[in-house]
Amino acid sequence: MNTQKLLGVAGFLFAVFVLVPWGIAASGRWDFYYTLTSVALLSIGAAGVWLTFYIGRINIGQGAYALMGGYVSAVLIMKAGISFWATLPLAGLFCAVISVLIGLPILRLRGVYFAMVTLVLTEVTRLTALALSVTNGAKGITSIPLPGELSLFGLTIVPDFATMQNPKLAFYLLAATLMVLSYAALWRIVNSRLGHLCRSLQQNEELASSIGVNTAYLRVLAYAISSFFGGIAGAVFVAISQSIYPSSFVVTDSVNFMLYCFLGGLGYVFGPMLGTLLLYFGWDLLSIAKQYQLLIYSSAMIALMLAVPNGVLSLLDRKGGRK
Amino acid sequence: MSTILEVKAITKRYGGLTAVNAVSFDVAEGEILSVIGPNGAGKSTLFKLISSFVPATSGEVLFRGAKISDLAPHKVARMGVVRTFQETTIFKSMTVRENIIVAHQLRAKASLLGFFIGSAQARADEEAFGASADDIVDFLGLGAIRDELASNLPQGHLRALGMAIGLATNPTVLLLDEPFAGMNHDETMNMVANVRRLRDERGVTVLLVEHDMPAVMKISDRIVVINFGEKIAEGTPAEIQANPRVIEAYLGSEDAAIGM
Amino acid sequence: MEQILANGLYLGAQYALIALGLTLIFSLMNVLNFAHGQMYVLGGFVTYTFVAQFGLPFIVGLLASAVVLAVVGALIEKFLFRPVIRKSKREESTMLLAAGIAFFLDAVILLVFGEKQRGVPKIVNGVFNWDFRLIMPYDRILIGVLAIAAIVGFILYMQYSRTGRAMRALAQDRVAAQLMGVDVDRYSMIGFALGAMLAGVVGGLLVTITGINLGMGGPTSIKAFMMIMIGGAGVISGAIAGGFILGMMESIGLSVLAVYGDITYLVIFATLMIFLAFRPQGLMGKPWG
Repeated sequence: MNTQKLLGVAGFLFAVFVLVPWGIAASGRWDFYYTLTSVALLSIGAAGVWLTFYIGRINIGQGAYALMGGYVSAVLIMKAGISFWATLPLAGLFCAVISVLIGLPILRLRGVYFAMVTLVLTEVTRLTALALSVTNGAKGITSIPLPGELSLFGLTIVPDFATMQNPKLAFYLLAATLMVLSYAALWRIVNSRLGHLCRSLQQNEELASSIGVNTAYLRVLAYAISSFFGGIAGAVFVAISQSIYPSSFVVTDSVNFMLYCFLGGLGYVFGPMLGTLLLYFGWDLLSIAKQYQLLIYSSAMIALMLAVPNGVLSLLDRKGGRK
Repeated sequence: MSTILEVKAITKRYGGLTAVNAVSFDVAEGEILSVIGPNGAGKSTLFKLISSFVPATSGEVLFRGAKISDLAPHKVARMGVVRTFQETTIFKSMTVRENIIVAHQLRAKASLLGFFIGSAQARADEEAFGASADDIVDFLGLGAIRDELASNLPQGHLRALGMAIGLATNPTVLLLDEPFAGMNHDETMNMVANVRRLRDERGVTVLLVEHDMPAVMKISDRIVVINFGEKIAEGTPAEIQANPRVIEAYLGSEDAAIGM
Repeated sequence: MEQILANGLYLGAQYALIALGLTLIFSLMNVLNFAHGQMYVLGGFVTYTFVAQFGLPFIVGLLASAVVLAVVGALIEKFLFRPVIRKSKREESTMLLAAGIAFFLDAVILLVFGEKQRGVPKIVNGVFNWDFRLIMPYDRILIGVLAIAAIVGFILYMQYSRTGRAMRALAQDRVAAQLMGVDVDRYSMIGFALGAMLAGVVGGLLVTITGINLGMGGPTSIKAFMMIMIGGAGVISGAIAGGFILGMMESIGLSVLAVYGDITYLVIFATLMIFLAFRPQGLMGKPWG
């Protein structure tokens, strides 16, 4: 890593962990915490979708894993009395395992076929949450306690959220930390031989397998990592809202995850983060338009597709800028 | 010379159509063997059968006595039988060097996790792949286009790159699918020389499927001719040129006349 | 048993009609129309407006749905999909455009018709009752028959009309059809209009029975996707088969699995995945379309 990149990363971390909390404290706009926390969590999910794009699959099923992760965390906290901190990785792992089972058959599909199945998966997950008794059907799971204390060898790392003066800030810092970790992992994947192999899959699966790449394994691996991200994001969302319903993540959310990636650009690791920020903030700002919010948002989207059908960051490509 | 690859009564049917019918032949270690035949004779299917990209209806392919015709393509490649593609199949959005580096997958000793955390083995692998890729680039005379994006390359260079990708896997047997297609005379002769050097300097056994008669006659130690999915002749270039069944097969089609 | 079959047939006819429209658009333009469910909802609301608001006969409402949706479909093709397809390099582009259109139609429906559940009065009263082995209201029978008639009409149209034949040629091989002198732009537009019209007609038919609301769009698209995955995307016979199979599975599921809770769709999805593992191209599809 060269100095310039190192400075960029340092600047980014400074902005996320120092500038933002300072700015919010100074302006008194505490509601921005919720928005930015959501952006951070959604961009973790979008990072997963981006990784599936990276192996050449259009994934419109991330909402399903966010929902699953949320329920796993909620059920474990409420029924088994496990600490939120332990449920966080468990939610991710549960999603990864499920995605392996689902991925083995469906990752053989390509293009719109894979896209269709993943979209169906989102809806089926919602219906399953409605039908099962462990998820408590349409009533959902509510009154989930805030995350408790996280301690290691008697040393308190994160204090009990319920005792905090400002849990909003704490959730923001938690989400931002997870986001930074996720993108660091993603960056490492893409810039190691692993990413090279993923790109070989994206560009030509047959050739990849003829040079000895275990394409089936790599596809499932990428999809499992993607779903792990989705599950983590869902679990934290549930901790914030202290409740989860079958409609907490629906088809629209899955489509949005895909949009974040696409808007940010598929050739850039930090594209999904940028896309999430722009779209989520855009949507939030449009709330002043009240009932016209969706109309303006969708019109803007359509106009954008007409103007730059290859994605916003394709404008950069024209100038010869590549990763 | 010992036999390295045995094709035994391999057959492929699509519905009622028999694309390849009980074709058998042996490939000796270190030889250059060509499979030729008129358009639609079943060459491509035969090629895919040998590289295990389509499953055989019956019959088998043995590599050093072990059956490879039921294995997944990447496993066949792992054993040392590697194909290149008829279409100009390369990784388009990578540079020439990146293409070759990624093709070193079979030689990777580090695990995927190792590559993720950047273990010592992974770093050693990366370094070895880089050196080997440069070696291959020089071997095939691609130095000038080393860092060019593959999507910008002309046809002739794409073929060479396809071969470079094949070489990177360190094959024992290299299967070349129409390596001379779309090349002019000079490019073809250059490629012929490269394939010979491949065998002579690196000891690679080459099995190729090809259309271009003059090139096949020049390059091959032995030739197998198929027509309508069946083997109709096998022998040295001289024997093949004198074989009446071969001449008949080619005259019967609108293909280029046989000969030099 | 008879009851399950009859319900399955009734559902299947509606589903097949929806899937036909989706698969037609897919086969002609390689566009996966995410907005198909919204078009169905729009069709339902148009019929509702004509019948319940203006007090016109049901058949007028149904025709109005067909016309409005055909026009909407044609406009969407001409002004949105055509330019994007022309300029875009990847298939995601049309998918995103379709998603944008789905949101847009949702917004329009919300503004114009609101989010309330709407319905029209029964068009025929009475219940068919065969010895309590098969019970079915007459209006359902009528709607089922109308749907089947529409399917038959569509097949005949595709088979024998000049336009239908041109569209089939286009679907089979775009380049060859172009060489034969088929006007690709014109028939893409007609095809899209026809696909949208079919969705609108189903909406109009079902508004008399289940009513219509804003939230039905997404789930309807999802069901349509399942159908064309079962039957094979881009194949007319596949869409019909997929529609009837899904209708039948749903009908069986609702009566057999009811004791285990509402897990019909979970079971159907699991079955679909196992099926796709063995036959990724669906029952009648070509590999990778």
